[in-house]
Amino acid sequence: MNIREASVALAKRSGRAMIVAGGTMVHGLAARGLLGNIKTLIDLQNLGLSYVKSDPKGFRIGAMTTFDEVLNYKPVSKDIAYGALIDAVNLPPAQIRNMATLGGSVCSSTPFFDVPIALMALDADVRAKTSRRQRLIPLNRFFISSFETALKAGEIATEVILRKFPSRTASSLLKLETNANDLAILNVGTRITLDKQSRCIESRIVVGGGVGPVPVNSPSAERKLRRRVLDEDTISEASEATLEDVDPVSDFRGSADYRRAMCKVMTKRALKKALARVRGGM
Amino acid sequence: MALMTLRVNGEARDVSVQPHHSLLRVLREELGLLGSKRGCDTGGCGCCSVLVDDKVVYSCMVLAMSCVKKKITTVEGLQVNGALDPLQEAFVRAGAIQCGYCIPGFIMASKDLMRRRRFPSEKEIAQSIAGNLCRCTGYQKIIEAIEMAVSNSNGAG
Amino acid sequence: MSKLRTIELDKTRELHVVGKSVSKPDAWEKAKGGSGYPVNFRLPRMLHAKLLRSPYAHARIVKIETSKAQRLRGVRAIITHKDVPKASFTPYYTSPPMALTLVRDLLVLDDRVRFVGDGVAAVAAETVEEAEEALDLIDVEYEQLPAVFDPEEAMKPGAPEIHQGVKNNAAISPVLSFGDVERGFEEAGSIFEGKYETPRVSTCYMEPRVCVTQYDDMGNLTVYSSIQAIFGLRQALSVGLGMPESRINVIKPPYIGGGFGGKLEMSFLEPVCSLLSIKTGRPVRMEYTRSEDFLSSSRHRIRMYLKTGVKKDGSFTARYCRSVLDAGAHATQAPVVIMVHGTFGFLGTYKCANRKWEGYCVYTNNVIGGGYRGYGAPQAAFAVESQIDEICEELKLDPIEMRLKNCHSQGDPHPEIPELNLSSYALRDCISEGATRLAWGQRSHPEGKSGMVRRGIGFACVPIWVSGGYGIPDVYEHSGAVVKVNPDGTVSLNTGVVDIGGGQNTAIMQIVAEELGVPFEAVKLTSSDTDNSPFDSGTHASRVTYAAGYAARLAAAEAKRKLLGVAGELLKADPADLEIENGDIYLRGTREKKTTVADVATAAHLPSVIITENGPQVTVSKKGTIMGAVSSAPPANPTPTAALFVEVEVDTETGEVRVLRAISTHDLGRAINPKAAEGQVEGGFVQGLGYALMEEMLFDQETGTCLTLDFLDYKIPTAMEVPRIESVLLEAVEETGPFGAKGIGEPPIIMPAPAIANAVYNAVGVRIRELPITPEKILKALGKL
Repeated sequence: MNIREASVALAKRSGRAMIVAGGTMVHGLAARGLLGNIKTLIDLQNLGLSYVKSDPKGFRIGAMTTFDEVLNYKPVSKDIAYGALIDAVNLPPAQIRNMATLGGSVCSSTPFFDVPIALMALDADVRAKTSRRQRLIPLNRFFISSFETALKAGEIATEVILRKFPSRTASSLLKLETNANDLAILNVGTRITLDKQSRCIESRIVVGGGVGPVPVNSPSAERKLRRRVLDEDTISEASEATLEDVDPVSDFRGSADYRRAMCKVMTKRALKKALARVRGGM
Repeated sequence: MALMTLRVNGEARDVSVQPHHSLLRVLREELGLLGSKRGCDTGGCGCCSVLVDDKVVYSCMVLAMSCVKKKITTVEGLQVNGALDPLQEAFVRAGAIQCGYCIPGFIMASKDLMRRRRFPSEKEIAQSIAGNLCRCTGYQKIIEAIEMAVSNSNGAG
Repeated sequence: MSKLRTIELDKTRELHVVGKSVSKPDAWEKAKGGSGYPVNFRLPRMLHAKLLRSPYAHARIVKIETSKAQRLRGVRAIITHKDVPKASFTPYYTSPPMALTLVRDLLVLDDRVRFVGDGVAAVAAETVEEAEEALDLIDVEYEQLPAVFDPEEAMKPGAPEIHQGVKNNAAISPVLSFGDVERGFEEAGSIFEGKYETPRVSTCYMEPRVCVTQYDDMGNLTVYSSIQAIFGLRQALSVGLGMPESRINVIKPPYIGGGFGGKLEMSFLEPVCSLLSIKTGRPVRMEYTRSEDFLSSSRHRIRMYLKTGVKKDGSFTARYCRSVLDAGAHATQAPVVIMVHGTFGFLGTYKCANRKWEGYCVYTNNVIGGGYRGYGAPQAAFAVESQIDEICEELKLDPIEMRLKNCHSQGDPHPEIPELNLSSYALRDCISEGATRLAWGQRSHPEGKSGMVRRGIGFACVPIWVSGGYGIPDVYEHSGAVVKVNPDGTVSLNTGVVDIGGGQNTAIMQIVAEELGVPFEAVKLTSSDTDNSPFDSGTHASRVTYAAGYAARLAAAEAKRKLLGVAGELLKADPADLEIENGDIYLRGTREKKTTVADVATAAHLPSVIITENGPQVTVSKKGTIMGAVSSAPPANPTPTAALFVEVEVDTETGEVRVLRAISTHDLGRAINPKAAEGQVEGGFVQGLGYALMEEMLFDQETGTCLTLDFLDYKIPTAMEVPRIESVLLEAVEETGPFGAKGIGEPPIIMPAPAIANAVYNAVGVRIRELPITPEKILKALGKL
């Protein structure tokens, strides 16, 4: 089978077929009775979607590339600009890192996963292909709702595209969890680019976890960083400002009040981590 | 139902599976390899851990059909000519085995660690087994067992 | 690493096997995968059973229609409430079935459901998938009834009645009173009151509950189950099915994959599979899903109101506690749990002439509970050991001093078992050991601490506990063993004790080997079942080493007497002049080996006359298999004591707590197997850490549905959350115990929650009285939310 055929198969069985990438989701969904109508699983192995390629614009990572493969690809894993992605793929236990794929993680549109937040912080794109067409979907427009992405019937995400960033760019991701094998209560991905005077010229702040059905970008926080040196006060202000964009939920992992407080703390710490990377490397 | 051949513990084995069957199910029910076990239903306890192409995975989450042409290693495949793998030996000697239900999973995760790291720190050891749950031991002797195996394999034992 | 520190070691006898960290014989097999777990057990022609469970917290089954399901391909039998015996029973395993203290409120399947997950019907089919499909085809018409989920709400007038005729939904409401608490409060310099809450938590054994049952043409039922008490299961099945015990044989598995008390009582699967086996004539297997395991048993939630009067110097003048226990839909073990909680968890802990405890064991439409290591004491200790620290903070006393002022001493009368004294009691040494190692003297107060991340130390102790059930009303406590010396020098040991992971069988083997004088490797565990083994009350209550070990030692001693009797005849010596070491028999006091255990056993085995090269020769006259068979109660119920010191770090921005260090010291009499004892300390500590910081079964307040039915949502500690745990095994020999040993299994899990709560207070000055101590609770208490 090739990608075109996979796309046709997917389109034909709309609603009754599901893509299987690393497979880490299928089991959990089935156990919770959420696979209901799915009668066909389309396995994307052996379609040549496992790669990391560099090109002048940045990096293209095949949708079937596992977390472990990303970690082992040094041009990405040693680059502080992609720190958020490396933080994200480093979080789950080995058993997941060896199986979970970037494509699978993104396409599951699970609001408390880490890789989607990291990729959003990196302004990454997803290439979506059908048998006839392809298009680029920016991550910040990719997630429609929990378990719902912008992919149309028959569309398959084939690769994730990472931009190249100017020097003095670093990113980070921090996750708040109860134990080391948990879904995020809250996670924050940040990216900053500093000029020679250490002022922030570009940033991205994304919050995920229990903050709604999809990850949330915080332009209010980003505005606070613009053209400023990231001292204690600036970082604090930006962290406060995330609350203008983020409206956390209350669930049994945490109350909205708690998540609001943590949003500030985690944003502050994630920014500091990114800052430390600009100064000192990965 | 489909007939396929899996390479398990160095042997080609024919099994008949349905597309949604997990590797764990096939290992246990079709191949009688009972060392990999079910401890939960949502993937995360680690009792089912096996190596696929030398990398540790949750066999409960891997579809059997996606394992064609891959090298599968279970705990039963670790012994060489009847001699226990140094990790197995270390787990026994360190007193790390209480009820033992989770242990093969820990051993497979440790094998993955030792493939990646020759001198893992204590933190790296803990991280390497963060995907395996144990309720009996409190992990202390498990970590000591892995340290023992690492030390032995580096000639210090 | 453990450090063995000994006090009063019995120097008259050198030990060869006891006191050594021998590898458990089953460890090698387990390292290779472990074939002996019940989950691997299969029988030919086995059917698979699945249970239909109630979606409602409280409902009457108006109609149940199984014909459509019956017709499904592969379905062989279905049972509902119409097919089960009608006499109520309790699945409790360690009291006589008709004991007055038991609450019999269960039927195998009922026409009423009382919690979400309660059993409704069961299907046996050729495959698991067919059984599951059949469940969907069973038509049930429910009439929903009002439900109640809070035990204090359930006690109010007008609350839904969960069991007919049970007033205020209180299954039992014991009151125990000594002296005059009111007068005691009048005499107090200060009075302290507080409410403490603990949640439902799950044992989370890794091997699921599973059983295979078989019914033969002669009417005998054979049961193979992942169970901690084979005799308890037999008794519960006998009562639940209305079958005599003599027709039920429960087989002891070589080992099971964890239990912790969650596999003590009979659950739905055993009686349901039995009935399906009887109906179909075929073996039937059921394996619980992880969700079903969460629903099958849990540690009960207890709300405690403590009121304590103290003098200025910290000595107690009055102690009062009211405990409200949420039993859930059926009492099961709750009545015993609450009694242990009230007596060993509260009343018996410290000396006070005026003390009173009121317990309410209340039905609600929550999930049922059962046993979980500690059995009511973890809940009590959280309250008692936290409050003592609170009192010390207020009165500016040292928490160690206050405990020492009020605790028992060696030789004191046992606070709960009138006929006994505290024969060994080394609590003070446990406390001072931990205090020294954690530099208690340098502890500073929270007010002086600063910084985003702050450290604190705290401790808690177990001042009274049990080594089994001797002297406890309505609780079976006896065990037995059969020890056979074989002609090849090996020793066969038959014991009904189930090894749930703690090395229970290994400890008994070590005791037998030591007593007989043979190497550890010579002892072989035989298969065992309720038909061929002496009664054993089960692997619970920290009893196996002390109580089962005691009986096994006697059995070994009897075999040894007979062995030496034959040896005496063989050697023409007085048996009293012979001793056995490492399988060899010597004249006492010499190193002159005279014969071996194998030769003596062989001599007793051989015919009276054998033909040799020199003609017929008479062998010894004492013939037979050399064996000892003893069934006995232990002589007492000595208390293990323990103290746990922890150091924590609290992040005042996130509220997260990390335990940095733990020092757990145990007065266990003698460590039969030091590494195994350490394993109990370490494992118990981490379970306690989970209880303290992260574990909680959560329920929908409207529907009663459990929201945390898998490890994604119910968090237990991973290797990343645990500190280095230092165990100290303090051997203050207990004279009545086998080679001086008493219990070790439960004290490790009783202390962590209050020790951590006390350390958190010492770090950041906030007192959390509700478990688990979550980051959110800490931030709220710090005024940051």
